This record gives sequence, C-alpha cells and structure tokens, in this order.
Amino acid sequence: MSIKRHKVAGVFLVDGQLATKGEALYGERVLGAYRLWNPKKSKLAALLKKEERVPITQDQIALYLGAASGTTASYLANIVSFVYAVEFSPSVAKDLVRLSERLKNVIPLVSDALRPDYGHIVELVDFVYQDIAQPNQAQIAITNAEMFLKSGGYACIMIKARSIDVTAKPKVIYKREVRKLEELFNVLCVRELEPFYKAHAAVIASLPG
Amino acid sequence: MPVLKTWFGEIELHDDHIVRSIVLKPDVPVIVERLQQERFPAFDKSCRGRFRALSINLGLVKSEREYLALLRTVAIQLGKAQLATAFARPDARIIQLIDGVDDIDEAINLLSERLLAWEIVETEIDENSMQELASEPATRPLLKQELEVSIERLGNLRERLAGVIQLEMREIAPNLSMLAGELLGARLIARAGGLESLARMPASKIQVIGASKALFKHLKFGAKPPKHGIIFQHPLVRGSAADNRGKIARTIAAKLAIAARLDYYSKKAYPELFAQLQKRTEKLGKPGTKDLL
Repeated sequence: MSIKRHKVAGVFLVDGQLATKGEALYGERVLGAYRLWNPKKSKLAALLKKEERVPITQDQIALYLGAASGTTASYLANIVSFVYAVEFSPSVAKDLVRLSERLKNVIPLVSDALRPDYGHIVELVDFVYQDIAQPNQAQIAITNAEMFLKSGGYACIMIKARSIDVTAKPKVIYKREVRKLEELFNVLCVRELEPFYKAHAAVIASLPG
Repeated sequence: MPVLKTWFGEIELHDDHIVRSIVLKPDVPVIVERLQQERFPAFDKSCRGRFRALSINLGLVKSEREYLALLRTVAIQLGKAQLATAFARPDARIIQLIDGVDDIDEAINLLSERLLAWEIVETEIDENSMQELASEPATRPLLKQELEVSIERLGNLRERLAGVIQLEMREIAPNLSMLAGELLGARLIARAGGLESLARMPASKIQVIGASKALFKHLKFGAKPPKHGIIFQHPLVRGSAADNRGKIARTIAAKLAIAARLDYYSKKAYPELFAQLQKRTEKLGKPGTKDLL
C-alpha cells in the first residue's frame, strides 16, 4: 500500500485514491486507517483530485452551506478542526443530525442558508464551503461570508451550471457567477470538475482583509 | 450600546467592556428551548469572534473544548426538535392514512377473490365426492370462516381510518374536502406529495394526476391525451356520459386547483365554490353546450 500526502494536510492518496483519516461512517471503503473518498460522489474530492492548492488547513473552522446528508461534511471534518454544517431540507438534514452524533467536531444547523438565522450560534470562521445548487447561490455565499467569514479567510463555491441556467453554456455561466462573487471576494481560481462532474466548477476565493 | 444576544446568553458591551451580562447555565434542554422560542437580532460581525472567550470569561464553560462540546450537544438537540416539527406536518399524516386505506382496499379485494375461489371449489367437492369432504370435515369450513372474519376486520379498520381522514381533511383542507370529498382530496394530496405541492400545481396537471402512463404515451407517441386521472373517482365525472367526461374533468380540476390554494394559503371554507361547480357542470351536462367552452 503506497501512501502519499496531498498538498492539503490531512488528505492522502492511498494507492492513488483520495482518502482521509477517520472512522468509516456510511459504508465507504476503508484501507487501514484511511477512508476512501470517491471524487465522483463528492465535489470537494473531485476538486482535490484536480487541484493541489486548495486553501484548507487543519486549524480552520469551516462553515459548510448545503451539507445535505453530511457525507462530504464528514470528510471535511476529518481535515479541519471544526465544521458548522447547514442544511435546510428536513429529509436529508435528518441524516446530517444523526451523523453529527458520531462526529465530535460537526455542529448541525437545520436552517436556510439564504436567510441565515444562525447568527447567534456560529462564530467567525476561516473557511466557507458552499455546495448549494441554486440560481442565487452567489448571493447566498456573499450573505454568509459577510456575516461569518474572517477577513483574509477563504471560500470555496461549487457551481452547478445546470441549476443556474440550462440553456446557457457552462463557461458563460461560470464567468457570470465569478463576476457576481467579485463584488465581495477576490476570486483566486476557477476549476472545472470534469470528468467527475459534468457542467460543474469550483470557485476558490478569498475575502479581502 | 451593542447588546449581544447569543445562544448562551445576553451580553451588553460598552467600549469593549462587559457592562451587563446574563449567561445561562450549561443546561441543554433550557438552552434549546430558549433558542426555539426567542428571536435573535443581528449584531456586528466583529463580536462573533469573541463567542468562545466571552463564554469562558463569564463562567459558562471552562475551556474552548468545553464550549464546542456544549454547543454541539445543543445543536444536535435543537436540530432534532426542529425536524420533529417539520415531520409533524398534518398533510404528512394524512398521506400515510390514505395510503393505508388504499392498501387495505387492495388487500380486501385480493382476499375476497380468494375466498370466492375457495367457495366454488368447496361446493364442487361437496357435490362430486363426499369422501373428500369427509377426510377433514371440521377444519376446512373453519379456515374459510377465519378468512371471512379477517376480511371483515380489515373492512372495519378501513372504515375507522376513513373516519379519521374525514375529520382531519375537513380541518386542513375544507374546500378540497367539500369539492372532491375527503378521501379523493386526500388521495390528490398524497399523489402531489403534500398540500403545498398540490396548491402549486396547475389545474391541467391535477386533471391527470394518476394517469401518468397515458399522459406520457400521449406526449411521446401522440396517443390520445388522458381525460382524467384519479379525479375519475369524482361522482360528477364518473356519473356523466362518456363524451362529456373530458369537459367535466377539466372543470372540476380547475375548481380543485382553486380549492387547494384556498386551503393551503387561507384555511377558510368558501361554500360558494361548490355551488359554482355544480352550476357549471349542470350546464355542461345539457346537449348543445359546446359554445360555452
């Protein structure tokens, strides 16, 4: 078994497959102490597979918007120190809450990220991760960063072109979304997630200090 | 003077000094209840970085580790409480009940057919070979009786379920109940996935709920479009002449769409809606009324 370190500390390549260290939570494959992380099932894994420099570090507090049932959030929790995970839809938030009972560093919030009502619970964070396939997702990222992201902190925003406009070309949509995000952020890079995800891109940005 | 109202208490700051503070005890149920009941106004972003330090200074917890452990327990309990209310939606209950009624109906039909088949075989045995019957004289009629009793019990259960649905439907969807009847109304809600989804549906879709096979055959292969889905169960549709059913189904669907919206957004009963529907369908039932549409 060959184990290599990814540039992002806490992420490993076990026999070339992405993995984190931690307990298996939903029946994913495990090699030794490593949980394999399928880049076809997690946009963050797809991004890490394609991009070495992702601004995630072990001491960070993260705010995860659109955590769904918490699969990706659980891997992020293996990497960073603490995760506030927001999900609105009750049917998947149920899984997220159940998962938080097993992970010591995940705080579940059953709330609408578009209208953050968790201002009295969430502290300042170093990293905002957003995976919400909504036409107004740029606005959601901005609202939350204005409330919770430290100056100099980072954001990673997953854009699903097909949820914003099915008729336009994905590249055109990415440009348009980046322009919206630039109202608040410094956009550092945009990476398409092919071949793992079709018509998806990750935007990495920082909040000016 | 900014007042910080946080999940663990209220703190009044003046020039960065704490002037006044009310900090809760680390009692999870109390904290969760306060989070559910009170409103929390927005405050300045810079204060947000001080949650941990403030909670330690004010004696809520002893360390950052403890802060996070307490917050996590609170958040999990709060999430569970919020989910419990989300799943206690009254229409979610009705969907379960009406699906139960339909399952029982199916079971009763199936078992009744079986009973009938048994009876026929038994009479034939009676007539043709007395020996066959004599071999187990007591058990066979008993088995039959048992099945009969089971079917009857299922029937009783169905009636009780239907009674509950009627009561609850009149409560949450008075207009739909009036126009479609409680059971059909409940079926429409169940097929739509909830009263809200039904209220958001166009009438043309409500008309063909339950006829998706026919609808897609129409859209894909150009077959005749379906006239009605489960609203065929409506007495006005079923009771009308075949060449009139399309019109009647369309009219009823349009009124049901209005009824669902009234129910979801206002919950008030509008009796005139039913009168309108009756008047309209009466007109449709008469010959020579094509120009009305």
